[in-house]
Amino acid sequence: MMPSILALMPMLVIGFGALALMLAEVLTDAKTGLAVGTAVVLFTAAAFACAGWMVGPENLGDAAVFAPWLVFDRFTLFFEVLLALSGALAALVAGGYLREHGIDRGEFYAILSFSTLGAMMLAAAGDVLMLFVGLETMSIGAYALAGFRRGSPKSAEGALKYFLLGSFAAALMMFGFALLYGATGHTDLAGLHNALASESLRSPSIVIALALVLAGLAFKVSAVPFHMWTPDAYEGAPTPATAFMAASVKAGGFAVLLRVLLTVFGDERSASWATGWPPVVALLAVLTMTVANLVAGRQESIKRMLAYSSIAHAGYLLVGVVAAIRAPAQAQSAVLFYLATYSVSTIGAFAALVLCGSRGAEVVSYEDLAGLGRRHPAVALPFAFFILSLAGMPPMAGFFGKWFVFKAAMDAGLHGLTVIAFINSVIAAYYYLKVFVFLYMREPAAGAPIAKPMWSGEVVTAIALCAFFVLLLGLAPGAVLDAALAVGGAG
Amino acid sequence: MTIGQVYFYLCAAVALFGALAAVCAKSPVRAALGLLMMVLAVAGLYLSLDAQFLAAIQLIVYAGAIVVLFVFVLMLLGHTPLVGVGDGSPAARILGATGFGAVALAAMILSARNAEPTNFPAALPAGFGSVGEIGRLMFTQTLVPFELSSALLMVAVVGAVAVSKGEKPVIVAAASVLAPPGAAPKPGESQ
Repeated sequence: MMPSILALMPMLVIGFGALALMLAEVLTDAKTGLAVGTAVVLFTAAAFACAGWMVGPENLGDAAVFAPWLVFDRFTLFFEVLLALSGALAALVAGGYLREHGIDRGEFYAILSFSTLGAMMLAAAGDVLMLFVGLETMSIGAYALAGFRRGSPKSAEGALKYFLLGSFAAALMMFGFALLYGATGHTDLAGLHNALASESLRSPSIVIALALVLAGLAFKVSAVPFHMWTPDAYEGAPTPATAFMAASVKAGGFAVLLRVLLTVFGDERSASWATGWPPVVALLAVLTMTVANLVAGRQESIKRMLAYSSIAHAGYLLVGVVAAIRAPAQAQSAVLFYLATYSVSTIGAFAALVLCGSRGAEVVSYEDLAGLGRRHPAVALPFAFFILSLAGMPPMAGFFGKWFVFKAAMDAGLHGLTVIAFINSVIAAYYYLKVFVFLYMREPAAGAPIAKPMWSGEVVTAIALCAFFVLLLGLAPGAVLDAALAVGGAG
Repeated sequence: MTIGQVYFYLCAAVALFGALAAVCAKSPVRAALGLLMMVLAVAGLYLSLDAQFLAAIQLIVYAGAIVVLFVFVLMLLGHTPLVGVGDGSPAARILGATGFGAVALAAMILSARNAEPTNFPAALPAGFGSVGEIGRLMFTQTLVPFELSSALLMVAVVGAVAVSKGEKPVIVAAASVLAPPGAAPKPGESQ
């Protein structure tokens, strides 16, 4: 009895914690503690997931009572820790941001918690039904967060585009799964895998189903050409919500992408270069990296630049997914490690961006950053630090993330793809370095609006934690890398 | 042609006609009624597939609640013809529609040509689609997703509250979409 409860604890803590936070907001009228409360709830969930990891999923024997709906393996536990930490960091950023900008409403934290819960369900899903419930819980939360700033037309536009396109993508994916159910009579992922692996089933409807499912998943991880919503939604959403979408929603999307492609479509025919999904995903990866990096260089707005940068990172991750067909364990652990490095770097970058501006004097374009490094070195430095990590400079986490993914792709024999990914990370350096030019080498034009930094203990805490993780993953990646390798070995 | 086939083709034709009407109609009320026609015909198709529960839910939720909600909204906003929607270049729209149609057609031809080697669709379990069987499944085997879907409903409710309360609402979109021809607001006027 006990071990099965331990397996479920991260989700239970978040679910009940979110309800308790909503009650606390109504009953106590104390809004200042909500961000910290949410972070505590999510850190507790992460701690329980770590405990489950230490006990070991193989010792959580009773957790099989949740099969086939929820699967508690090391893959799930890794994502639970990652998602809970990302959610907690985003909640801390929100604590400072929402107060500063006068949209401090308690719903934000409840939605963020439930959305994280949905992403966890998605990572743990062992059945299409559970997958859909998790996907919708995560996505509806993200739609609401994107449209949280009701007075801003940009927020409304971004949220509406995200909502409509997201619903359409979810419908396409469900259509694909319905075809699979029609062909096999299974909705559980393991059963689908066995049915598809049997040679007798060669049906065009399987190919159509694969295409539809892939389109839906590519939308969730915002791969080109399914990325149209991303810049608008990221730009319009409140910055902490953008950080949450860029880290948690993307991580949840990749969790389900890995699970579906490697479990359901992991049989020899579907996962072969000649007859299956790998060339399609490789094409998506090339398009995603190239288009996103080329367009990102032309952006005026910092948030749009970071949005395109997050699309480009999805492209690098897709390279790792393709590599998983030849070296599954190594490539999968490289993708997990990359997701960890990317999540802390991107949340840190958005947190630092929040700190650079204040109400009425936000950082919107590059011009607003001009001279910030001289006027306010204390807030310019963290932003520069996380931008370096996103660019993949050696001592930071981002470098090792890219290194392991590229190495996995080389080991899998994908030389062309690796070269394209490498060229792309050089192109990306252009727009990341542009930030430095404006921070440290430009002065604001006369009469131009000047961004004024804000102060918030929560945001500073979030930045400090992100910086700690970036340095940890960059200088001593051993522990996390071992964990990612353990997932690959078990999966 | 058996009576079952006649029923299928009838329902399918009505559903296609309704869907086309919903997309093509200039008047929003006609579009809503086209949608209603499509929903009813699809419920009829569900009945022929032994999915009585789904058919009933389709009628209650979609025809009964959602389409009525659309009509209410139209009543409140006034049923002026839609202008300003889809003003993109017609070439892009035609290209998109043809591309999508070509892919769908190719998929259908491919499916029809390759005779399915196995029993497609797979055999259904006994009692499939009946109300009793769905109730039994929901409270026994699928208890985990059933309980966790409460989180889905919760986030939807809280999300709806979050985006509908707060600062002043945005009226830009509504004004530009539903304005009668020739009375489009000046850009930035309502911001």
